Parts: sequence; structure tokens; C-alpha cells
Amino acid sequence: MNDNGGMESSSQFLELSDEDPATIYELFESHGWGDGLPLVAPTDERVTEMLSHVKASPEEVITVLPPRGGSATYRAVAVNAVLAGCKSEYFPIVVEAVKALGNQKINLRGVNTTTHPVAPLLIVHGSAVEELGFNSGLGTFGPGNRANATVGRAIRLVLLHVAGAVPGPGDAATQGQPSKYTYCIAENQKESPWEPYPMSLGLNSESALTIHCGENPHNFHDMESENIERILDKGASVMATFGVNNACISGGEWFIILCPEHALTASNQGWSREDVSNYLFEKARMPAGSFREQFNLLAWADWMKSLSDEELVPMTQKVENIKVLVSGGAGKHSCVVPSWGMTRSVTVPI
Amino acid sequence: MNMKIHTPEGELMDEVVELCSTAPLFSGGKIGVLENGKPNAGLLLTEIAEGLAERIDANFSIVTGKGERANAATACNPQVVGMLAEEVQLVLTGSAD
Repeated sequence: MNDNGGMESSSQFLELSDEDPATIYELFESHGWGDGLPLVAPTDERVTEMLSHVKASPEEVITVLPPRGGSATYRAVAVNAVLAGCKSEYFPIVVEAVKALGNQKINLRGVNTTTHPVAPLLIVHGSAVEELGFNSGLGTFGPGNRANATVGRAIRLVLLHVAGAVPGPGDAATQGQPSKYTYCIAENQKESPWEPYPMSLGLNSESALTIHCGENPHNFHDMESENIERILDKGASVMATFGVNNACISGGEWFIILCPEHALTASNQGWSREDVSNYLFEKARMPAGSFREQFNLLAWADWMKSLSDEELVPMTQKVENIKVLVSGGAGKHSCVVPSWGMTRSVTVPI
Repeated sequence: MNMKIHTPEGELMDEVVELCSTAPLFSGGKIGVLENGKPNAGLLLTEIAEGLAERIDANFSIVTGKGERANAATACNPQVVGMLAEEVQLVLTGSAD
């Protein structure tokens, strides 16, 4: 047994000749591990400290991750959290994210192996945001905040090392995307005019975590409009594009991340979160005939298939697929995060 | 100073999956194609199946999709798997693109 109570096996440990950061960097590179960036050495002391924040046996399996079928034990996840540079108090969030990735709704095998550029976006909600120092304000997508950066990176390292989502053998993403390094934000509840996003789903928890597997954020800005319709028309124009998977897969979700000022404009007009979704559902549309010209295969809901070429088709088959929350700081930029298509977001208490 | 560090990979499950033995005499057997839903997959796999059937003196039998509501990113419907198991001895299919 090692100090963590887990069984030691020679394959669990490597010898490092010294503590020079370049040494582990080169050692991991020689094994084909890592994300290409420098790493923190996962010494037993650091891994033990990480594990002290959960009540579980180090060798207990949280979930098994495809495509490699690696066992995401608490130990393995802790090692990757150390490598990513996480503070040990972040570890429970990383664990809950790994658990959520095991949810069948995520379809992680598809997410990890598809040619499409898709990465799990982690969204932290509630009191954990302030307690752990996540950035929900200016620059929430990064860079510069340790919690956002390292929790997102820990998940990517788990996907690389445990799930085997390595470009080539385990990840066929044609071009990849920058959010495959790290992808973690926080809901800006302090500046949101609406109830917390998890509560809108019926989840009443002090803290929660959402995972949405999507593309990089697609920005839309409006610095001048004083009515929300004019602002959201720009968001709708970003959504109404043939280039995303959601264009030909009608079951896909859209996350609309509104900046506080855009959300306030909506709220000042008496708009709810649902009003924003409804508006985008109605406005982000293109003629059915245009879709048919662009695609040989359309994975549409049955009711959409029966539409005539002239009728307008929404960018998703039901309004509930358009999710709205507030994040970011001052300045009037919001964004849209389209999904991969064959995946559903998951929100869990933490 | 030497130091020990943990490896980052999770252990693989202990389950051992054995490959089925190669059919020794396939002559006269049936070959099917499970089209995975990607563009031209059916065309490519059918070409391969036809060529293979000719080469090993088998019969090219059937082309099927994964079933209703299944697509390139989801699993094949169990009914389709069952049908293929009954109808053919060899299935050609593809993953991703």
C-alpha cells in the first residue's frame, strides 16, 4: 500500500532524475503524454494532498472513459489535476466533472473521437465560484485565472491520458480547436438578472457544474442598441449558419452566453431567460430549401422534414435546446457556443 | 536528486476480449455491409465487399444502415445487429470518416 492507501504497482510510478521543470516536461514528451505545455510533477505528496479533499479510496473507479477504456480512478484524476496545476481545493470540482463526463447523455466516445472540433465546456455555478476563485467576470474564457485555466486543463489531461483522446489514435478532430487545451468558465450570478442557470432546470443546489460539449465560442457584439431585439438579432445571425454541426443535426443544443450588459438590457425590457430563448428560436432560421441545397444528409426531426422549401427552419428542433446564462464582464460582447450535435449537456450539483 | 512521480494513465479494465477465430472455409458464405452513415460509406464498403466476395468465392448479400434514428455517431440498433447475425457470416463497416 502507498501513503494514499492504494496499491502500488511499478507501472504507477516513474523515476524522475531531478525536480527541474524541464525534466518532467521532456519525460512526458518521450512517453507521448501531456498537452504540449509544461507540467507540474505529480509527486506522491502532491497527489496525496489532492486526494485529501475527497472521501474515497484512491483506486476507486469514478468512471471508465472511452475510447481507450481507461479507468478514471480518484488517483488517476488526482495525478492529472496535479499535472494541470490545480490547487488541491479544486479537486472535488474536477472529480464531479469526470463523473459527469461518464453520463451517457454526453456521448463521450463520440465527443472524443469525432472529426468535429468539440471540447467539453465546464460551467461552474453558485457559491463555489467565489469560494474557489473562479473568474465569472471580465475574461471568463481566459486567460489569466488559475481556477478556470487549471480545472479545464485537468479535464483535458484526463481525456488525453485516461480516455486516450490523443490526436490521431483517439481523437480524429480534423483541425482541433484551442478549447481542447482548457475550457472552463463560471456563471456570473452577481450580475445576472435571472435565477441561477441550474435552478432554471429545477436543480436547487448551492453549487453546480454544467458540461456542454461544443465548439469554440462564436462572438457577437452590439455596443449601441438599447433594445434587446436588435442585440439578439446579431446572436441569431451567428446561429443561422450552415457551417456548424447543429445546422444538419436538429437535436443539437446552443449555449448563449450573454454578457451582463446585454442581459440587463433584456431584463430592463421585462424579458426572462425563456423570452431570450424563444426569440432566438424564432429569429435564427433559414429556408428549408437552402438546407436541402447545402446538405445530402439532414438529421432533422420529423416535423422539420415535412416543411416546404420556402418555409423557415429553426437552428434546433425545440426551443428548450437554446440555453441562456450570463458570464463575462463589462463591454458588450456575448457569444454562442454550438454543440457537436450528438451530445446533450449535463448539469450536476457539487 | 531522484524522485518518484505518479503515471497519469488510468489502468485498463481487466476484461479480456478474444477475437473470434478466422472462418477456415468461407467459400459460399455471405458478406454484408453495415453502412455507418457517413457520405459515400455505402458506396466504398459495397465496392470492397464485392471485390472481397469475388476474391474468396463468397456472396455479397446485403447493405443496411444502422437503423431508425441511428447516425454516424451513435450505435447500431440491436435489431439490425441481430438481422446481420442471422443473414451473413461477415460484416464490413466503418468508423468515422
